[in-house]
Amino acid sequence: MLQMSWLIPLFPLLSFILLLLFRKSKSESTAWIGVLLTGVSLVMSVGVFLAVWQGEGIKTEGTWFQIGERAITMGFEVNPLNALMLVIVSLVSFLVHLYSKGYMHGDERFPVFFAYLGLFSFAMLGLVLSPNLLQLYMFWELVGLGSFLLIGFYYFKPEAKAAAKKAFVMTRIGDVGLFIGMVLLFWQVGSFEYDEIFTSVKNGDISSGMLTLTALCIFVGAVGKSGQLPLHTWLPDAMEGPTPVSALIHAATMVAAGVYLVAAMYPLFQASEAALTVVAVVGGLTAIFAASIGLMQKDIKRVLAYSTVSQLGYMMLALGASGYVAGIFHLTTHAFFKALLFLAAGSVIHAVHTQNIEEMGGLWKKLRVTGPLFLIGALAISGVPLLSGFFSKDEILASTYADGKYGLFWLAVIAAFMTAFYMFRLFFLVFTGEARGEEHEQKGVHESPGVMTFPMIVLGVLAVVAGYLNTTWFGTFLSDYLAQGPVDLPHGDHHGPAWIPLLATLAAALGIGLAYLIYQKGTLSRDWITRSLPSLAEVIYNKWYIDEGYDQTVVKGTRALSKLGVLFDRYVVDGLVTAVTNGVQGLSKIGSRLQNGQVQSYGTAAIFGIVILLLIVALTGGYFS
Amino acid sequence: MTGEMIAFFLLALTAITGGVLLINLTNVVHMVVALIFTFIAIAGIYITLSAEFVAVVQVLIYSGAITIIMLFGIMLTRHQEKEKRAPRLKIILTGLAIGLFFLIMYGKIKDLNFGQQDVELHVDNTKKIGIELYSHYVIPFELTSVLLLVALIGSIILAKRADDEKEAKK
Amino acid sequence: MSAVPLTAYLMLALILFCIGLFGALTKRNAVIVLISIELMLNAVNINLVAFAKYSINPGLTGQIFSLFTITVAAAEAAVGLAILIALYRNRQTVNVDEMDTMKR
Repeated sequence: MLQMSWLIPLFPLLSFILLLLFRKSKSESTAWIGVLLTGVSLVMSVGVFLAVWQGEGIKTEGTWFQIGERAITMGFEVNPLNALMLVIVSLVSFLVHLYSKGYMHGDERFPVFFAYLGLFSFAMLGLVLSPNLLQLYMFWELVGLGSFLLIGFYYFKPEAKAAAKKAFVMTRIGDVGLFIGMVLLFWQVGSFEYDEIFTSVKNGDISSGMLTLTALCIFVGAVGKSGQLPLHTWLPDAMEGPTPVSALIHAATMVAAGVYLVAAMYPLFQASEAALTVVAVVGGLTAIFAASIGLMQKDIKRVLAYSTVSQLGYMMLALGASGYVAGIFHLTTHAFFKALLFLAAGSVIHAVHTQNIEEMGGLWKKLRVTGPLFLIGALAISGVPLLSGFFSKDEILASTYADGKYGLFWLAVIAAFMTAFYMFRLFFLVFTGEARGEEHEQKGVHESPGVMTFPMIVLGVLAVVAGYLNTTWFGTFLSDYLAQGPVDLPHGDHHGPAWIPLLATLAAALGIGLAYLIYQKGTLSRDWITRSLPSLAEVIYNKWYIDEGYDQTVVKGTRALSKLGVLFDRYVVDGLVTAVTNGVQGLSKIGSRLQNGQVQSYGTAAIFGIVILLLIVALTGGYFS
Repeated sequence: MTGEMIAFFLLALTAITGGVLLINLTNVVHMVVALIFTFIAIAGIYITLSAEFVAVVQVLIYSGAITIIMLFGIMLTRHQEKEKRAPRLKIILTGLAIGLFFLIMYGKIKDLNFGQQDVELHVDNTKKIGIELYSHYVIPFELTSVLLLVALIGSIILAKRADDEKEAKK
Repeated sequence: MSAVPLTAYLMLALILFCIGLFGALTKRNAVIVLISIELMLNAVNINLVAFAKYSINPGLTGQIFSLFTITVAAAEAAVGLAILIALYRNRQTVNVDEMDTMKR
């Protein structure tokens, strides 16, 4: 089974190629190509995962090319971490393929959408299987390409176009960081191989300053992909893409690639205390910051997007606080419940044809399947006990506490409260109360077809049970499993004091309760907070003015620079070019005038030639002298 | 100043004057006539260089034959009464090139001196040339005669065939 | 011994050559161009005869060479004029600047 694991990414690639051939097809049964092929990938991934669960692993490499003594290799590797990622990616990809069959119904470029999904799945699975940084980087960029294509799928909408461009540019900033880190590592170690890098890190071949620098550079790549604090603004805008895409790429898989990268390079980070601290601080700040923005958003998908950013921050916080298992655990559970939430949101949008939560409401009765599933997702992400989010979040809090980062711990708790609040604000506004949309819209509201509800049900089940992978009660399966990998787990499992789960539950309950009071009961006025702290609310509503800040500084700066460049180009470069062309043109005009067919002119030219030759002879002292 | 010197200067002056007149006159016939002086003066120069036979040939062929041929050529073709000057730019450019050429060559020849001269050249000059031509240079001499024959036939055909064609067309 | 140095003859030849060259390159009348070429040949002949007298190996060779040159020049003049007349028959002109068939 393991020997065949390199085939896993190739099925989606095949789907991509086949669907490109069928791209003119109007038939919607083309979707089954994608569904079937990703299904094969899923089956194989599960097989691989089970084999790895038994303690197996494989790494196969061949030399790609040789530079001097250094061989650049290509191959694939299966270890516990990426086997888990394989399952997550192929599962979510499969379910999203299935879901899109219903969601994209009637779209003009139906096969193209599935082709892009195939391309993305190929890239993501390839990224996960990469045994070295160089290969990872190639797939990393391919993943970015897939994301770009899918965000800009509705390319006729200017917002979608802008969002795709923004996503591409913002992630590119991160990619440059990753690239620099990669090159630095190659310089220091002489190899892109994970194993060799870890060996030299362990042997102390790299100075500590350089270690921190490379780790931070690689982290910048992760920040870009995972939408962490300074580079997060592309992720909410990426919601312009179709909703299944948001579920697949911008919730479950691609944005998790940053977290995966940090996890895969974990020994490097472990070797540098400063790098870990930076990871933790960035993660913690992102968690609370994004959560605060999520409180005030009106677009259902944007709320989920900020929630994603916030949860990714949680994962980073966990990794930074030596909670390797906690981070991966949360990555897994989050992939399930966030994909569920997005798909449910997609189902809602599919039903009411709007994304503004102010125009929804009272959908519980109309969407008998979507509603409860959304509730499960919301409960899971809020950290309500017995659902998956509770266990993983608890683990993160515990490891943060155990690592002694108390400030970040409290930040995380507040973020958990906010998460619960905005999720249930969303839930109450969308599903309960009176329908607020326009009359004619109300009649068309109906539950989504089976192809869409089935994936949601699967994810809903997983969102409940995934938490039992790693609990103090039944067994820490996940950490035992991950312990087989190349990473030395920091403290084994740290289950902090017993009051931490209680605190987390309390935060969640508070959030839910507050949301209930404001949006359901109306006990508290909806603009209660807004009125008491108008300026703060204003700032939060405008997403802390980050976009505006970038606009004022980076964008304006770049514009000014480009204007300067344009002037330089127009007057200096063009001037030079025109001078050259004019010179040549003038010369050739003289030349063509000489070609007038008259012997005397040719004779004159010949005399000039002779004179020049004679002059050279006379000056250099030839035969005469 | 010896008599030879005076003779040289007079002859050289005549030759150059003829040349300058060739350049400056406007009537074509006058130009040719001016050049006759130059050719005769050059014949005189040959005499000062102890080459009597060449001088006589020069008078016969250049001053006589070629000049007359050219005059015939002028008369056989129609001309404007006054020769128009070439464009000023062309004159300046050509003058510049030739001036440079002159300066360079002048710089090279002004100190040239081999220090030897044959004083016996003028003794039996024609006889010696005849002997040389028919002994040492007999092959080039015969080739020259062939060349002259070719030129003769060639010029007759060139000048005549167009005529035949015209008649054929008529 | 002659009182006139070699350089004087060479200078005379150079001046005549330059005049001939100038005439050949600037005159518009084809007949005059031919005559100018004859003048250039004459200048060369002066050189040959002068070197026959003043050189490291003086002798008759230079003079004989100039005789050959004169012969060839005579042939050239005859052929040149024949061409000129043929051209005149066809194009009714002897102006050099109107002869630009090479351009086409």
